[in-house]
Amino acid sequence: MDKPRVAIFDFACCEGCQLQIVNLEEELLDVLTLIQPVEWREALSDQSDTYDIAIVEGSITRPEDEEKLREIRAPAAILIALGACATMGGINKLKNNFAMDEVRAEVYGKDGSMPHLNTLPTRALDEVVKVDLKIHGCPINNREFAYILRCLALGKTPAIPNYPVCVECKMRGTVCRYEYNEICLGPVTRAGCNAPCPSAGFWCFGCRGYVDDPNVQAAREVMEHYGKTMDDLKSRLLLFGSGQEPTS
Amino acid sequence: MTIKKIGPTTLERWVDSLIGQQRVFGAQAQGDKFAFAPLTQAARLRLDYDVAVTAPKAFLQPPCETLLRFGARGYESVLDTEPFVLFGVHPYDAVGILQMDTVFAEGQPDIHYLTRRAQATLVVCDVQNASPNVFAGCMNTAVLEEGGDVLLTRINDDYLVEGRSAKGEALMKALASEPEAEAGDLQFRKMVWDHNRQLLRRHELKVKPEDLPAMLDKSYDHPVWEEKSKRCFSCGSCNLVCPTCYCFNVREDVRWDLQNGERVRTWDGCMLTEFALVAGGHNFRRKKAERYRHRYYRKGKYLYDQHRQIACVGCGRCIGACVAKIANPVEVYNRLAEGPR
Amino acid sequence: MIQSKPAMEGKDIYLPEPAKLLKVEPLTRQEAFFEFTLLSGRDLGHLPGQFVELSVPGIGEAPISVSSSPTVRGYFEMVIRRAGNVTTALHRMEPGSILGVRGPFGTHFPVDTVMKGKDVLFICGGIGLVPVRSAIQYVLHHRADYGRVMIVIGTKTPADRLFAEEMEKWRKHKQVTLLETVDRRDETWTGAEGVITRLLPLVQVDPPKTIAVICGPPIMYKFVVVELIKMKVPDESIFLSFERHMKCGVGKCGHCQINGIYVCQDGPVFNFTDVREVEEAI
Repeated sequence: MDKPRVAIFDFACCEGCQLQIVNLEEELLDVLTLIQPVEWREALSDQSDTYDIAIVEGSITRPEDEEKLREIRAPAAILIALGACATMGGINKLKNNFAMDEVRAEVYGKDGSMPHLNTLPTRALDEVVKVDLKIHGCPINNREFAYILRCLALGKTPAIPNYPVCVECKMRGTVCRYEYNEICLGPVTRAGCNAPCPSAGFWCFGCRGYVDDPNVQAAREVMEHYGKTMDDLKSRLLLFGSGQEPTS
Repeated sequence: MTIKKIGPTTLERWVDSLIGQQRVFGAQAQGDKFAFAPLTQAARLRLDYDVAVTAPKAFLQPPCETLLRFGARGYESVLDTEPFVLFGVHPYDAVGILQMDTVFAEGQPDIHYLTRRAQATLVVCDVQNASPNVFAGCMNTAVLEEGGDVLLTRINDDYLVEGRSAKGEALMKALASEPEAEAGDLQFRKMVWDHNRQLLRRHELKVKPEDLPAMLDKSYDHPVWEEKSKRCFSCGSCNLVCPTCYCFNVREDVRWDLQNGERVRTWDGCMLTEFALVAGGHNFRRKKAERYRHRYYRKGKYLYDQHRQIACVGCGRCIGACVAKIANPVEVYNRLAEGPR
Repeated sequence: MIQSKPAMEGKDIYLPEPAKLLKVEPLTRQEAFFEFTLLSGRDLGHLPGQFVELSVPGIGEAPISVSSSPTVRGYFEMVIRRAGNVTTALHRMEPGSILGVRGPFGTHFPVDTVMKGKDVLFICGGIGLVPVRSAIQYVLHHRADYGRVMIVIGTKTPADRLFAEEMEKWRKHKQVTLLETVDRRDETWTGAEGVITRLLPLVQVDPPKTIAVICGPPIMYKFVVVELIKMKVPDESIFLSFERHMKCGVGKCGHCQINGIYVCQDGPVFNFTDVREVEEAI
């Protein structure tokens, strides 16, 4: 069987998720046994319009992005959203808390009204085109990326967890951030990252998005118990949770 | 069986010699908490710990373990056959392990668990400091009357070391020339036990553990399930920290050649949303309240009906681990004891 | 040191034994018919209603009920719906492929005990026919051992019907009563339309002499049982086969538990009296 032709594209993002793929290092050779990259800005000088799988990172923030994404989608049998910006808009969605004029003035000052600086409220890929698979995280977990790639090669639907990060903290023996009276988004955030943040002593930022059925109401109710306010919780949700719908 | 009395220096020497012979996992400080981890020197051992973050069952049923390997020769069993010592297990955690022994040995025995278990020497240590949520005293698990391979009890600055099995006696060979415990020491140990039965009651269960099954039997439609579970995150923390939870998931991954790979089992929990979901999409315990109730029934009734043991050892880990603060079994059982309301 | 060879006495309950796929035939859009044989040459040794765990290396394992009667020797049959990863992979496999089998597991329809000498009423909805077919074949193979044989089958649409040819044989069988319905008819269908419970009053049963066997989608049980009770079939004469999430098949993993019952060990076939009081069961 011919290896599937894979093209990697990027929109508004830091391109750190592509970098995570490059960070597979010697395993990249193994990756190449399964796929044939035909476009990949960070690792390849070639470009191509014919491919089977499009892997797209970044979020959609300009009218021309929208058009380009539709063009990318058209020939692709499978479109994969790579990383938080692509799967749910990511940090870029912070912008949606402001009016677009305000945003342009803040970033570009007096030049903000120039036409080429036109900007739209941030959208995740699936708010524009059909997305077949989401690889969550900011950045993605490249172990999970590798696993997903192998699943696709086997024609298998990868098992992406639909349980909270707490599961992975418990498996690692990580002490809960709430034991230190710290708000952590782990209880409503999809696992699969292997909980690196809480294990390093940070709260979970929620970069993989909500589980399918997040109990956000419960999160509100427990704030009081930890001597926190709703505003404290909201400020934590802002980074990845601005206008976020439960992800799938 | 022998009961020796040894001083702190002898204890340290003994543990260091064990480290030289086999893998030893011992209770150690981890930040401001305690955890079982590979022990590199006896000086790091903290037998005065209050509770280990993760129950030591993790060394017998690891969070993730390879069951099978597959490749050109088909499937092959993978078994862990390296001996090890679990040093300083608290009595309530030992009870949890003894319950897992029953589960994995009964019916069709699970040789993955049993092989690893056969390699383990269980050094139990009576509790010296009560953790904030422990209620083992209420569950009759504050003291391990029998079982385990060695039992350590601190008597002032010394330790009584009791061999409780042939394996334990073998471990104690190095202590052959140490003095036997005297009648007064054993008297003192009894006092420690009585003290611990009272000390390990940070929450007070108003019913006797043996009455829980009958009480649960009439509480299926009690409002407490719905009330408490409203706040449930379905995060499974109460399951995963529990010394008697052993449910598992099985998954498979391949290497890059797509031919060779492994089948692994991982911890799972009945509080997780998809625990009872079948491939066609039907979820047999779709509601939080159903899952929440299932967990209490499993601990207090279903497993009791099978093995005559309450599957809650009163370690209190679930109380601390639950972010929503709905997982205190004592609170739930006391509420049920008040009757249907 | 990790060893590959069992260091302890006893077999590994999780270790599949190799089996060969002999035949695959598509049946409907979702279901295909499979024939397997164990490489060791031994018969599977199942009884009607039991299931096995099928392994596809690299993909995983799934519980599947056996669809052929143990009276069929040398191979066994299954009808598998494409639902998850394992079943999808099975649908793509070619004859000659090697896969893994564990089992048979669980309880069986009591063809060898209480059903003997009785009238038997089989009630199947959708792929519920798959495990029941094993019992039907068994009963027809030992036809003289039983009283009347009544088969009631409900399917979503005519296109979803399984074993259409075999059903035709049953229909023509002089000592079998077959009633069939579809939830939604199309132009090819001249038979009954509507839910399966509507057919039950048409079956003339002699309640004390009848043993009823039910298998179908979760929603079906409640309604069928109510109907049987109305028909005065005694509770202890009703047998049901349940589906649940299963991983191990040997009562360890906890997934299939309904209250105190493990479906993989105590079931999948239950007598109604054992589950009628069990919450969450039906």
